[in-house]
Amino acid sequence: MKIILKGRKVIGGVAEGEAVVTKEPVSFLGGVNPDKGMVVERGHELEGKSITGKIFVFPHGKGSTAGPYIIYAMAKRKTAPAAMINVEAEPIIAVGAAMGNIPLVDRLDKNPLEAIATGDRVRIDGDQGVVEIIKKEDG
Amino acid sequence: MNLTDREKKMLDGAFGTGPQSALRLLATLGEIYGAERMIPVSSCHVGGRSYLISGEENVEWMTDLLNGGARFQVFASTNPCSADSERWKEMGLPEELVVKQRRADEPYLKMGAVPLGSCLPYQLGNVPLPGSHFAWGGSAGATFVNSVFGARGNREGSPSVIAAAIAGVTPEYGLHLKENRYGKVLVDLSGLDHSALRLSDYSAIGSYVGRTLLDKTPVVVGLPQTFSQDQIRFLISPMPTAGAISLCHIVGITPEAPTVEAALGGKKPADKISVGLREMQSSFEKLTTTRQEDVDLVCFGCPHCSIPQIRQIASLLEGRKVHANTRLWVATSGHLKVMAQLMGYVEIIEKAGGLVLTDLCVAPGAPFHLVPGVKTVAINSARGAYFIPGACNLDVIFGDTEDCISAAISGRFRRSR
Repeated sequence: MKIILKGRKVIGGVAEGEAVVTKEPVSFLGGVNPDKGMVVERGHELEGKSITGKIFVFPHGKGSTAGPYIIYAMAKRKTAPAAMINVEAEPIIAVGAAMGNIPLVDRLDKNPLEAIATGDRVRIDGDQGVVEIIKKEDG
Repeated sequence: MNLTDREKKMLDGAFGTGPQSALRLLATLGEIYGAERMIPVSSCHVGGRSYLISGEENVEWMTDLLNGGARFQVFASTNPCSADSERWKEMGLPEELVVKQRRADEPYLKMGAVPLGSCLPYQLGNVPLPGSHFAWGGSAGATFVNSVFGARGNREGSPSVIAAAIAGVTPEYGLHLKENRYGKVLVDLSGLDHSALRLSDYSAIGSYVGRTLLDKTPVVVGLPQTFSQDQIRFLISPMPTAGAISLCHIVGITPEAPTVEAALGGKKPADKISVGLREMQSSFEKLTTTRQEDVDLVCFGCPHCSIPQIRQIASLLEGRKVHANTRLWVATSGHLKVMAQLMGYVEIIEKAGGLVLTDLCVAPGAPFHLVPGVKTVAINSARGAYFIPGACNLDVIFGDTEDCISAAISGRFRRSR
């Protein structure tokens, strides 16, 4: 099954990969290890999970305004997500995506936290703000 | 966003990849905040150099910008950093930190930053004019400039300030727009006996206002006729950390607040609060994380100490000795230290066993946790007390200047009231 959602371009570029979805906000500073590309925040539902090369879907950022540096570092070390989808992007994630040149879209016409599940195949066209989802086969 | 031809060229890379990255970052922020256009900035104050906060990532980013042809187009002074590069040994810091800090500073200097190394750049020649637009890192400075000089800017992270200094513009949103600058909540301080209040008390009041109003712009009334720059600074610098306030109208001082009505833009206040002794006192308790009396380090300078503060510290220390197990640091700018030397204050403070340090942030970029044996820090500002536990994972005592000096001498902190 293929679903197409339309949203807002924040950072352009095209990417494709496997989705990792969380309903919890993400702090990159302190919450993500930039060397391992892994969520390390204690008690976070993605704790211990890798986001490298993934289409990372989360509501929005939180935490320190130094967060963009971590996203940038991940891009430099090739541990960054391939693209990001937010419910509503805010300056920390958006500035980090701009520094690291990582496609980012938000304000989709359906809630991405419900429309996309971890493991789905997702293709993003950041310039057009279009997200194409190929649902993971059941079973 | 509507971009000018020059901005479009910059975004297309005509001036190099450095300015291109800077403008892309600013355009992204503009999109998110719904800005219609970019506006020129005439003053920048760049942060991000504290190695303990932004580390290798900022060094890499700044070096990429520099190699991509980026230079600061606007007067850009620097915020303080993680070490005094001349006194690190006496501070008990590892040399490695100073070496890394020097490397972190290189791209700033090559891009043309003026190395003031202070959070009081407005005492050192970086003075935005009323109605002009600025981009400053460091929320205490940005709040001061909005509130006292009536220049317009937002509280923002380091990358967007650096980008604005390179591109010469910033997206027009938030406090750049007149309609977002009006006060919302009336804050009445007339119930306090101001003749009995000390400098740190204003910091405690500001912290209470910040955590009560959160992001609503205050309109402060009920202050004495003469109110010093230090008192203003202590009152407003905790507001962006305890809350998210970046502009505080002080009626009779803020250029946009000649009257309460003008500050509120002719509207009724959304709320009114009064601050009394109990509210003030609650900040000292709330920001103190330990009941232990032993103090390893007493620190002044968040924000950086002015000459009147250095004078007060020197007069309290004259002829006395700092305890053998306690350190005393006074953080200021290089310029003001020269003045304090000429006035004899540095000699008095250092003879007593203290250190007068320059270019050093004593919170949030402070290196306290790298100094052997330091577990508890006493500081005379609510802003400093807010940052130290999280940034350094240490206990903190928020106390009045005189109590902090007594703690430095006895090694134990006791409140005098």
